Amino acid sequence: MTAIPVYDPRGVVDAAPLTTAPRAKKLEGLRLGLLDNTKWNANKLLRGVRDRLAQKHAFGAVNYYRKESFSLSAAPGLLSEIAANNDVVLTAIGD
Amino acid sequence: MGKSDPIATPPQTDASQAPEGTDLIEWYYERGWSDGFPLVPPTPEKIAVAVAALGGEPGHLVSRVPPRWGSLTREVLAINMVMAGCRPEYAPVVEAAMLALCDARFNLNGVQATTHMASPLLVVNGPVRKRVGMNAGCNVFGSGNRANATIGRALRLVLLNVGGGWPGLLDKSTLGHPGKYTYCIAENEEASPFAPYHVEKGYRIEDSTVFVLAAEPPHSVTNHFANDAEGILDSICSAMSTICNNNAVSAGHCAVVLGPEHAVTVAKSRWKRHDIRHYLWAHSGNRWGDLYGNGRYGKVYNRNLPVWYKREPDARTPIVPSPDNIHLFVAGGEAGRFSAFIPGWGHMSAPVLRGVGDARPAGGPECSDGACAV
Repeated sequence: MTAIPVYDPRGVVDAAPLTTAPRAKKLEGLRLGLLDNTKWNANKLLRGVRDRLAQKHAFGAVNYYRKESFSLSAAPGLLSEIAANNDVVLTAIGD
Repeated sequence: MGKSDPIATPPQTDASQAPEGTDLIEWYYERGWSDGFPLVPPTPEKIAVAVAALGGEPGHLVSRVPPRWGSLTREVLAINMVMAGCRPEYAPVVEAAMLALCDARFNLNGVQATTHMASPLLVVNGPVRKRVGMNAGCNVFGSGNRANATIGRALRLVLLNVGGGWPGLLDKSTLGHPGKYTYCIAENEEASPFAPYHVEKGYRIEDSTVFVLAAEPPHSVTNHFANDAEGILDSICSAMSTICNNNAVSAGHCAVVLGPEHAVTVAKSRWKRHDIRHYLWAHSGNRWGDLYGNGRYGKVYNRNLPVWYKREPDARTPIVPSPDNIHLFVAGGEAGRFSAFIPGWGHMSAPVLRGVGDARPAGGPECSDGACAV
């Protein structure tokens, strides 16, 4: 039987998949980062979660960050700063 | 594989041939690579012609298309063009439009993924409109013209197939809108009493350009009574001044399309493009208190709007931050006293104007790599 050519219209993805960081086993003493994406209710949601977590766990530090725009990736400099100064990071959409 | 795995690399080998007698339209449907309408099954001959029209070199990378970040080579673009029903001569328009959409300032990643209904609107200016047979007249946003329909469709197929903007997966739009099938028009430069849009932005009249704006659908503006600029434009201001279009709460850019009859009436008052844009900006807008329930839900700041907007109940809130953020076109049939307001997505995306082929912008701080954020 003859074959007829068919075509994949999707194009190749070159990016290599990244693995997620290992999950923290305990929170005591860790530095907690919160990344606000600037959506309507992200700050309310994150601050509420921050306050509840802080009642239960003694964090070494709590740092709050804001993205420039909710629809854009966080700036590389901000991501480096978060990575350097935090052990766990919490983010939320808060639409 | 298929759309259940939107970021994986496609298996090129098992998708290279099908048994003789296969219903190819169904074959492509089964793989989830369609916009919902039947695709034109590509043939080696048609793809070769389309690749040649794009400049040859099938492996040449045009762009990477977010949010899947698939590689849009000329061959992949040609496949999607053929599938959409494009003629080869549409290639320069489709390629320029894809480069404009993938300009970082447009933020296609966000446009594709947002819960808002925005879809890229493409407006074409210059001689290429006539060369490829685009419709700028009657039913300009509607059906019936191959170039308008299939250029817009090719872009959408690329956004779906290469960009991975599949509904519910990487496209999270709550409602979408019909322009997500095709949303492509040409300015009716011949019926317009004003300079064409691209000339206003510094291109030469013999240049051809593509303009892309992340946009809601057009909102009709009817006015059969006014015989001067102010009367016509007041009706457009009314359509702009709703409290729930995305510009009202997220700023950004919008478009206004004057129907030719309205445009002629406005021009008879000796108003120019900049007069129109400034009038629309100055006399549209909402009362701040009306935007947020007049205090019923507490005090609202809204970080999406410029810091310099006055946040007091009776303050006027502009629809967009500047008259330059209103993009004005003349399009449509020569009979009928109608225009349209097209809200944008918001400050999250800048519209982009790009030359087709060798056309280059006049320059300026917002221009780089052959395109301008406008």
